[in-house]
Amino acid sequence: MASTEQLTFAIETFKRIHPVEFQRRFLSQDTRHDGRAFLQFRATHVVKGTIGTAQGSATVRIGNTTVVCGIKAEVSEPDVNTPDQGYLATNVDLSPICSANYRPGAPGDEAQVDSEHIFRLFGEVVDLKQLCIENDQAVWSLSADIVCLKSDGNVLDAAIIALMAAVEDLKLPQASLDPATGVVSADKAIETQLTLRKRLFPATFSLVDDAYLVADADDAEERLTTATLLVVLDDQGHLANVWKRGAGTIDRPTIARCIAEAKNRQNVVSSALE
Amino acid sequence: MSGAVNDRRRINGPARSVEPIYTPTVLDSVAKGRSDGRGLDHMRPIYAKAGPISDAQTTASASGSAFYEQGSIRISCAVYGPRSARKPNARRAHFVCDFQYAPFACSKRSPTQSTDEHETSLWLSNTVGPAIRLEMYPKSSIDAYVTVIESDGKMATLAATINCISLALADAGIEMYDTVAACSMGLRDSQWIVDCTHQENAECSVLVAYMPSVDEVTGVLQTGKTTLEVHEQGVQLCTNVCVRVYAVICRALQASVE
Repeated sequence: MASTEQLTFAIETFKRIHPVEFQRRFLSQDTRHDGRAFLQFRATHVVKGTIGTAQGSATVRIGNTTVVCGIKAEVSEPDVNTPDQGYLATNVDLSPICSANYRPGAPGDEAQVDSEHIFRLFGEVVDLKQLCIENDQAVWSLSADIVCLKSDGNVLDAAIIALMAAVEDLKLPQASLDPATGVVSADKAIETQLTLRKRLFPATFSLVDDAYLVADADDAEERLTTATLLVVLDDQGHLANVWKRGAGTIDRPTIARCIAEAKNRQNVVSSALE
Repeated sequence: MSGAVNDRRRINGPARSVEPIYTPTVLDSVAKGRSDGRGLDHMRPIYAKAGPISDAQTTASASGSAFYEQGSIRISCAVYGPRSARKPNARRAHFVCDFQYAPFACSKRSPTQSTDEHETSLWLSNTVGPAIRLEMYPKSSIDAYVTVIESDGKMATLAATINCISLALADAGIEMYDTVAACSMGLRDSQWIVDCTHQENAECSVLVAYMPSVDEVTGVLQTGKTTLEVHEQGVQLCTNVCVRVYAVICRALQASVE
């Protein structure tokens, strides 16, 4: 195994004890450790209606990353300032079942940040006025929870696609308010789906080791990532959101390149959502 | 009804929301037979897979994991350990189960769910714990994290959870006396029926967690009211069904190694 001058390792050992160098060996040769091209995304699969107990649901897989989103609908009084609008609360759940990176219990920093970002994104997608049952008295309150079952990098993309699919899958029973009792009854036989204002297509790019731009980084690459860029396009191909995270810097030509690549990704995600 | 506390770490909906009253579409008039056509002593079909997370190529992965389906019950479990414990001088490993429902898992979200989860976590630790050879791992802790993705029948989901944790522990290579197999039964019209769904509201249910190789029961749970004779009969029947569940778990483990 060893000569007097250098040590050689089995590939798995090398990967564990020197992860940075392991990745560099591939990246410096213009390839990635799983054989993908730099700007190649992993295979994406979307299945809608996977959770029977939820009114809308979807399971999304990007490579090994698996995320399930369930939307439950309940009824409540609307906010005084917006009497004809319902609620949509989106939460991302990252727990130890998906990766050793997360601790059990209350949502950690990453989950909170992702939840907030997705909440703001989907404010543009769902028209809350469609959730009104009776003006100023009863509205639908949607709780969308995105649970990561397996994390192999790029959970955020999967989460956005899962929520998108779940909202498209959502079937609300026809509800009516009895003015005498104040009770809302709903008929499951008649269901309506929401008409969305727009649809969102995310694409995440990472700057690995401060030098290499890759699309859809997996867990091993995310550990070396210095900066991440999320580009979200809408159905018209317009920019809905650009979000840069991480302390590293990304120059402007690279950002432009990412946005251009995101357009290609949009077609793939769009067909997966069908 | 979700009486949502203003949780600052989550996006909150309105403070109070309730389920609407659903007009019953098909009356649950199951006089003879069951709504899904099963026999009275038939379990729902089980799909169990060991190692969906743990054999991934990711660097941060669990020691063992399992994904378990029983009808529409879906549960995912990840086991971490043995790893170093907070109490460094313990003679035996510290085994903890952390149980939680996914927010969309139950047909009704209730505020008591979180206390329910704590109680269930403790009960699971006490039910699956005896199967583990804890004395083989001093100064360590073994943690099992379980998430119920979809639930269908409270007792049945609990039984499925035990099966899932057993599978994940075995997948992690943790030494055990035997894998624990569990199943539940419900009493309806003085007859025990196996594996009740949420729709088949049984007035009384019993759950048994059993280790077939050593012929030991690690946990018995009963809800509802019944006579001692009927209860004993139920526990005996349940134990017999557990042996069948055990065979399924073992087969899943074999499949994961091949």
